[in-house]
Amino acid sequence: MLKMKNVSKVYRTDTVETHALREFSLTVDEGEFVSVTGPSGSGKTTFLNIAGLLEDLTSGTYELDGRDISKLNDKERSNVRNEKIGFIFQSFNLIPELNIFDNVDVPLRYRGFKADERKRRIEQSIEMVGLGSRLSHLPAQLSGGQQQRVAIARALAGEPRFLLADEPTGNLDTNMADSVLDLLGEINAAGTTIIMVTHELGLADRAKRNIFVRDGQVSDGAPELHLASMAAG
Amino acid sequence: MEIGPIWRAMWQSKGGYLLIGLQIAVTMAIMVNAFAIMQERASKMGRPSGIDEANTFALASVAFKPDLDYQSLIREDLEMLRNTPGVINAVVTNSFPLRQGGWSEGLHREPGVGKSVSSSAIYFVDEHGLETFGMNLVDGENFTPAQVAWDSDSDDFWPATVIITQALAEDLFPDHEGSYVGNTFWFNDDNPANIVGVVERLQAPWPTWTGVERSMLVPLIRESEFSRYVIRTEPGRRDELMPQIEEMLSASNKERIIRSVETAADARKLAYLGDSSMISILTFVIGLLTAITGLGIVGLASFSVARRKRQIGIRRALGATKTAIVRYFMIENFIVSSIGIVIGAILAVALNIFMVQAFALTPLAWYVIPIAMLILWTVGQVAVAGPARRASNVSPAIATRSS
Repeated sequence: MLKMKNVSKVYRTDTVETHALREFSLTVDEGEFVSVTGPSGSGKTTFLNIAGLLEDLTSGTYELDGRDISKLNDKERSNVRNEKIGFIFQSFNLIPELNIFDNVDVPLRYRGFKADERKRRIEQSIEMVGLGSRLSHLPAQLSGGQQQRVAIARALAGEPRFLLADEPTGNLDTNMADSVLDLLGEINAAGTTIIMVTHELGLADRAKRNIFVRDGQVSDGAPELHLASMAAG
Repeated sequence: MEIGPIWRAMWQSKGGYLLIGLQIAVTMAIMVNAFAIMQERASKMGRPSGIDEANTFALASVAFKPDLDYQSLIREDLEMLRNTPGVINAVVTNSFPLRQGGWSEGLHREPGVGKSVSSSAIYFVDEHGLETFGMNLVDGENFTPAQVAWDSDSDDFWPATVIITQALAEDLFPDHEGSYVGNTFWFNDDNPANIVGVVERLQAPWPTWTGVERSMLVPLIRESEFSRYVIRTEPGRRDELMPQIEEMLSASNKERIIRSVETAADARKLAYLGDSSMISILTFVIGLLTAITGLGIVGLASFSVARRKRQIGIRRALGATKTAIVRYFMIENFIVSSIGIVIGAILAVALNIFMVQAFALTPLAWYVIPIAMLILWTVGQVAVAGPARRASNVSPAIATRSS
């Protein structure tokens, strides 16, 4: 379903060339819950950006649902993001001027759903994350955990095949983090593929498969060893 | 369309939008009323004078020899002028339309002191006056040579026949039906004048006068050291003949000078100089205001894009195409412009009502407000296009960067 082969990403300035990903290869099958861990600067976020079509790759191939992503133009990439991928960000990334209903509505409008359909999906997804009574609240009126739940509702409302989570509990306390992870587990159990980038070892344990990234590459060896080495400092 | 959420988002940070909306409203109110003033001035400037302006010019002969036979000089000059190839006709007269200097008289429907009911500009001409001015005689007939009088020393002598304009006829005899030819009125309390002809139009020399359309031709030639000749040429030959005729008259008699050579078009330009200057100034003001408003919109939109860069990236990450981002800013601008324009339209009408009452301005034409709306909407959309395009180039990857 998601297949990256020898993907490289190079950032260039006039004087510096940074290799964020080198010959990065990974396959994720439908229904998996994969965590991607690695130290700071290892290329996790670059991987997420490329997987989520937020950035172009420099070389290599990336297929999503059998489609070569490198051949898509900007509009097609936007449509793939909108239809197939749901994003959960560390800092929630809700739009502060919009209430909860309108925030969840944003990707649905870009999808072109009719008003009735959008309303049904918004209410269903908000209900699913337990915030049905907060539809007219602004993000600033919610706790961090509630905001992340809204972000999850926004990601789910379009019923994506993939959920890409970037440090989804990074800004939450332990209780809220647990509740968000439980929710992700439920979503995965319902059939959505999840790829979660995190540097927290405890979170990686909640995934069914762990990928360790170092120096822009998937590191060889058992992930447990890497996790253990990260834990050891 | 995303009008609902865009409106709700704008409402959360309404300060900047209100200011720009207010600026658009003020621009609209000023633009509409400035345009109304320009339109009124342009309409005034566009009134036909009644003469063949494109092919007419005038010059003055000023004799400096004290005992010169002015009548003979005028007769010789007219003979020469009328026989010059390319000249359609020429006349000696006291003034011509738009010249801004001339003669007017109070007119009476019956003899007697203090019974003036109208007034008129007076043009002294002979039987060549009609053709020289190129007027359209709509009723009656031209003067005969026998009706033309010469007068050398009296301002009180008035011939008994006149040709008047339709506007003067209607003003003098408001209740009259049918032909005005044959009707009589009085100059100076007791000098009767019989109407022998009516011309469609002949403006007075003063374009700002409220009675500018009330004029008459009087068959009289005044003999004096100063004679003004009006000359009508064949189409397209005016500029060629002007210096030739000036030279010819100068050479024909060395005891006078020829001066004040001017075309009717020059006279028009001079007569309406204030109006055309006003139009230029108001055009500049409208352009400046519109440009300032456009720059205000560019500024607000640029600030908005810079402030919401992350939000734009989030929208892109969630599936917004570049077109959708451009559309977002266009709609946002359309909303704020529309509010400003609607308030501006109300202000414009209120201001116009005030100006109509205070300065006797013509009420706004119905189409001015829709045109101004279209202009300001277009300015708004053009102004926001640059910042909107910049916004659409924000990378969606910004969404994963730490805030």
